[in-house]
Formats: sequence, C-alpha cells, structure tokens
Amino acid sequence: MGNGERGRPNKKIKYGGKDDQKMKNIQNAEDYYDDADEDSRDGEGEEKKRDFTKLELKPDHVNRPLWACADGRIFLETFSPLYKQAYDFLIAIAEPVCRPESMHEYNLTPHSLYAAVSVGLETETIISVLNKLSKTKLPKEMIEFIHASTANYGKVKLVLKKNRYFIESPFPEVLKRLLSDDVINRARFSSEPYYGGDGFTIGKTSGELEAGPGELLNEAELAAAAEEKETHSFEIDPAQVENVKQRCLPNALNYPMLEEYDFRNDNVNPDLDMELKPHAQPRPYQEKSLSKMFGNGRARSGIIVLPCGAGKSLVGVSAAARIKKSCLCLATNAVSVDQWAFQFKLWSTIRDDQICRFTSDSKERFRGNAGVVVTTYNMVAFSGKRSEESEKIIEEMRNREWGLLLMDEVHVVPAHMFRKVISITKSHCKLGLTATLVREDERITDLNFLIGPKLYEANWLDLVKGGFIANVQCAEVWCPMTKEFFAEYLKKENSKKKQALYVMNPNKFRACEFLIRFHEQQRGDKIIVFADNLFALTEYAMKLRKPMIYGATSHIERTKILEAFKTSKDVNTVFLSKVGDNSIDIPEANVIIQISSHAGSRRQEAQRLGRILRAKGKLEDRMAGGKEEYNAFFYSLVSTDTQEMYYSTKRQQFLIDQGYSFKVITSLPPPDAGSSLGYHSQEEQLSLLGKVLNAGDDLVGLEQLEEDTDGMALQKARRSMGSMSLMSGAKGMVYMEYNSGRHKSGQQFKKPKDPTKRHNLFKKRYV
Amino acid sequence: MVNAIKGVFISCDIPMTQFIVNMNNSMPPSQKFIIHVLDSTHLFVQPHVEQMIRSAISDFRDQNSYEKPTS
Repeated sequence: MGNGERGRPNKKIKYGGKDDQKMKNIQNAEDYYDDADEDSRDGEGEEKKRDFTKLELKPDHVNRPLWACADGRIFLETFSPLYKQAYDFLIAIAEPVCRPESMHEYNLTPHSLYAAVSVGLETETIISVLNKLSKTKLPKEMIEFIHASTANYGKVKLVLKKNRYFIESPFPEVLKRLLSDDVINRARFSSEPYYGGDGFTIGKTSGELEAGPGELLNEAELAAAAEEKETHSFEIDPAQVENVKQRCLPNALNYPMLEEYDFRNDNVNPDLDMELKPHAQPRPYQEKSLSKMFGNGRARSGIIVLPCGAGKSLVGVSAAARIKKSCLCLATNAVSVDQWAFQFKLWSTIRDDQICRFTSDSKERFRGNAGVVVTTYNMVAFSGKRSEESEKIIEEMRNREWGLLLMDEVHVVPAHMFRKVISITKSHCKLGLTATLVREDERITDLNFLIGPKLYEANWLDLVKGGFIANVQCAEVWCPMTKEFFAEYLKKENSKKKQALYVMNPNKFRACEFLIRFHEQQRGDKIIVFADNLFALTEYAMKLRKPMIYGATSHIERTKILEAFKTSKDVNTVFLSKVGDNSIDIPEANVIIQISSHAGSRRQEAQRLGRILRAKGKLEDRMAGGKEEYNAFFYSLVSTDTQEMYYSTKRQQFLIDQGYSFKVITSLPPPDAGSSLGYHSQEEQLSLLGKVLNAGDDLVGLEQLEEDTDGMALQKARRSMGSMSLMSGAKGMVYMEYNSGRHKSGQQFKKPKDPTKRHNLFKKRYV
Repeated sequence: MVNAIKGVFISCDIPMTQFIVNMNNSMPPSQKFIIHVLDSTHLFVQPHVEQMIRSAISDFRDQNSYEKPTS
C-alpha cells in the first residue's frame, strides 16, 4: 500500500487518564514490563524512532516470529513455524506494506485497528497477542497507539433487527454519552416509558466464533472473548439513521459505529431459496475471509481483498447463499454482469427466474419476492433521463430492502458514485470485493467509511505456493530505441508525441512479435497483448493480423472475439486496450505482453497481471518441484532511455510489495531473428516513423474511458507538472486580460458547463 | 598538410549519440561542440564539453528513473 496509506497521520499520541489506568494493569499482568525500561523509550524525534538497538530481546526470541517497532511498523519472519498464525493475526490488525518472500512489513494504522476491532478483536487481546509474538518487549508507543486508536472503535454497533434500528453497546456508559448528544437523543425511539434508570434493553449476544487468533491463544484470554456478553441497546428512528451515523464519526463524537446484520432473526424480508452446490468447495482462504464476515453469526459490512483469479466470485456467492436474502450485485461493466450471473448459477442452486440482469442491453424484470439482481454501478448511479422501463426497475430497487449489497471491484468506483448507490439502495450488509486496494488519487480510505473496514487480505505468494493461483514469471523487456525514433523523441516539437514514439519503437514491435511467435508456436500458449495507446493498438494488431478489442467495440463483437479466443485453435492472441483491465474473464490466457500502459498506475499493472493468475494445469505440476515452475508469463515491454522507464518502475511497485520480482531481459529479439520479424529494414522503420509523426495528436493520445478514474487522476497530476497547457495557450495572459476587462455582471449568467457536452475539439481542454 | 584538432572521443550507444546530437543542435551556432559524428555510436567533440555532456546525460537519466518514496 506504500504511499496509498500514508501511515498514521500524527505520530504523537495523546491518551487520557483512563487508558493510562489500563496500561498499568497490563504492566502488572505481564512480567515483561518493568519500569526500568522507561528511559530507553524517552528518545524523541524521527531519527531516534528508527534506532532500535535499545530494544531488549526476550530470552526465547528465536521462537517468536515478529519484530515490533515503536513507529508502528511490524516485521514478520515468514520462515518461523508460527508464521501462519502470526500472519492471520497481523493481517487482521495491521496494513501490509510489503510482502516479499521471507520478511513481511506491516504498519499499524488507525484504520487497520478499526478493522481489527470490527472483526471482534479487543484491545487487550491485540496487545497481549502482539506481545506474545514479538521478539522484543512491545514498545510503549505502540501500546499507547493501540489504546488510543481502539478506545472508541467498535464500542457501538448499529444493528438492523426486524427492520428496526438499534444502537447496541456492551458499555452502558458509552450509550449514555451518546444520548447526551442532542441529535441522537432526539432520534431515540421512546416507545417504552422512561424510567429513572438508563432504560437500555439488555440482551445477550452469542460468543464470537473467531477462528484466527483462537489457534494461537488457547488460553484464558480468548475464552473471555468468547463468553457471552451482555449488551445494552436502544432503538432509534429509521429516518434519523443517517444523522446518527454522522454524529458518531471521528470528527464529532468519535464513536464510529459498526454495522451488523442479524440475518437469521430477520423474518420481515423474505428468504431466498439458495444453497451452495456441493461441488462448490471454498478454499481455506475463502473460508477464512467468510468467517471474518460472519464471525458472530451476523453479517458484517466490509471489504475482502483477494488477488484476481483467486475466486472472488465464489466468496461473493457464498456470502449471498449464507445470508439467503435478496441480493444486489454491482459490477463494473456489462461483460462482468454476465459473468456474475453465470457464477451465481454455477455455484449455487438459485433458479434461473430468481436471478436477473439489468444492463443497458438486457433489462430483465424482477419477479418473485426475493432474488438476485446483477447490474452495473453506472446503471444505478446514472443521473440522466432513463427509459420508462429502466425507471421502473430502478424504482423497484429503491423500494426493496436488500439483504446483501455485493460490490465487485470496489477500488475503481469513485467515491461520489458509491454514495449515490448506497443512498439509493437500502441494504443491511455491504460486501466489497477487490484485488488491489490501491488507487492513485488517494481516495482509498473513503471506502472505510462508505462500506466498512477491510475484513481480510490474502497473501499472494502464499496462494501461489498453495497452487491456488498461477505462478507468474514477471519480466521487463528492455528495448533500445532506434536511432531515428530517438532523434524524433528528443525534439521539443514532438513533446506530445513522445508516448506514441516510444510505444511504436520498431525494436519493441519486433520484441513483441518475437514473444507472440515464441509462445504461440513453442508452448501453445494463449496470449493477451495490452496497449493503452489506441494508435499503437491498431497498428500492432493490423500488422500482426490479430483480433483486437477496445472501448468502441460493441458488446456482441467483444463476446464473439473472446469466444473465439477461448475455443478456437487458430486464435491464440488477442489485443486489448484499457477495457480489458478489469473483469473481462479470460481464464485460458497465460501470457500477457504489455506494450503501452498508463502513466504509472500501480493498480492497472496488478489488474493486468490478474488476468492470468487463474491457476492452470494440474495441481501437482504447479506445486514447488513440479513439472513447470512457472506457467504464466507477464512481459512488460519498455523502451529504454525514455519516460517509459520511469512509469514502468512506478507501476511495478504494487506487485513488488506483494512479493513479485521482475526479471530484466535485454536481448530480445535475438540478433539472428533478422527479417523474419516485422520492421527489419530501415525503409520500413522510416515509413512507420512517418506514420507516427503524421498522425494527429488526438489519434496518438490515450483512450479515455468513463469508468477510469485512475487515469484521470494521473492525467491531472501530469498536467500540473508539464507545461502542456502553457504551450497550447490555455493559460495565456491574453485570456486573463480579457477576463479582467469585463465586469462581473457577465459572469453571473454563465452556467457551469458540462464537460461531456463539449464539442469534440474542446473536450480535452481543462479536464 | 595535416591539421590536428584536440578533442574528446565519445563512444556510446545509439540513443545516447542521438541525445548528444540533439543537445548540439539546440545550441546557438557559436557554441556547437560536435566536431565530427563518426558513426552511430561514436562522436568526436570539443574537449571542454565533456563535463557538461555527462551532467546532461545524468539529468536525463534521473528524469527517467523512479524511486520509491520513502514513507
């Protein structure tokens, strides 16, 4: 997550007297804490925080798997016998930063601790388990930090029971504090007469069925957590739920509420008759992620992070089958809507008439009183005028109470669209699925509040070792620029064509052709070639006579090409533009060649790799020591000495953090390939160069997709760095003078312009 | 009659030659420094520009390499 999650916002932690008291209790309970080590932690300032020479090792440190540092970072040795248990625990409480093969780095953040609390871990449990696993005494700062961050999280729950909203808490004093707030007090339902006391309803919740740390702590601590606890609750007015939630956010009362859905006791909403089919066997990690979601017999809202190809859909379908209520499933585009509908039918016993798809092409009406609706974010959030038919369907969605809101690829959807979707649909429980919880516009933390905390995140390398996803060889192929192309690249007047020039580099084309030929003929592989640059995409595809899919390709044609790619022996390579990044499921492919890409989107790189992660071949071949060590290949072709090198390294960061390493290949194509590959002779190269230079600027640019927010974020960032707008005169002085010369009266009547309605010529200005 | 000119002989790869040529072209005529472009990987330039070329190339390379921000 590197720079996505910027660690903790402030490193100086204040803690109140109450926490102090707790601290002392721990210190008494644990032998490891004595006052003598006080002086070793007095060091203030950034530099000293990284000096850990004074940390004392515990005598049996060899058996303990992790290092905890005062600045919130935790390092885990993956070769320790306790690795598995420690990993399960750490992933629940901390944010993974970097996970190479033998040493993982984690970071404790307020958000990660919030997630920990929401899956049922308690402050004391977190600290004692952490202390057990740590080679050194837990730094005081870390304990304070955990206390400060978890003091209020998870103390209050918002529960929807029989369509009545309750605020629930095991601590009556917390509820009292909440009620002293005006907004919340007014929202409280006082159906029962108010007696002098606090008048909270007291109920019992069943013990936690938490499996993760349980394996680790077979002792009293966990028994305590599993005990039945008294909970106090009061009911609030459903109409006021939004306001109450807002009051509880950290910037107001700071008691963020957890949302849980007691679906078993919900007899208002009709049950949906669906079960998992017997052949749907969730894998261990899928089971684990579901157990986090359904930890105490209720359904929690949150996000589950699994690599592409690791079976996210099965997790989604299982969740729906467990809740057994109406389910609204949101995907990013029409193709993946079809795939989700298919997955539902594949894994569960749902009947065909209980599931319907709602896209711009197929509007299936919803019959019966419970069922599954699969649609896209755009369809729900669309604010323009709809056809009468879809208006009706939307209306139905709005009026229905959904048991589960299943959201695929949550990282791509902009926050405002989420808010819209969430406000339109009433759902008891929200589950977000994604492979890559990074985005370039730093909005990922919004998801914490819009959906819920991250419930589970799988380790890629562990899944590779387990044979659940393909073992991918990643390679960066360095292609030197040819003389003529580089000369043009350096010229100032070609600054807008730089991208086209390095993408169309003939050496790159030859490397690409060589790789395609090698994998098609020698290994019989299925290959996807990615190019963001439309000009390059068409040039390459035409020259090599391969089918291609890009934004403007119709749904029918896409399906046709993909079908041919899957079944036909003659179609082994397909060219995709950005549209192929997400959700186009091509399980057959096992080679990716990337010839051009977005400036530096880490997410895109990971998503593309995800296209080939689905495990192939026999399990025993794939395990360590099997027939083939690698069965999938990811090539990124890069023109050396150009900007592409910069972007390429940046893009790889996410995958490197997941533990992948990139091999650099410099000698492709082999020198003896000669004229068997395209663009061998200088004349050919020069005519290609001429073509690139003569193509209009709009042609060589990037493809713009509506759903693509990363691209826009990166574009913006680049725009401010470069001088493109200056050169095009968009920010010229003349314009300014013109503005100041006029009076304000003219400005008042100006309507805000809708960028989508602009003339083509001006669309790309002032994005 | 043989004319001797003192200079620096540069040997580099194809793109870098182009980079140096491009640098030379962007200079005003009085400051042009390339004496001879020998072939696509060899140049003969005036002796005083060596340092300037080195620093220009290292700048250029820095622009094209990404370093992970230390968080």
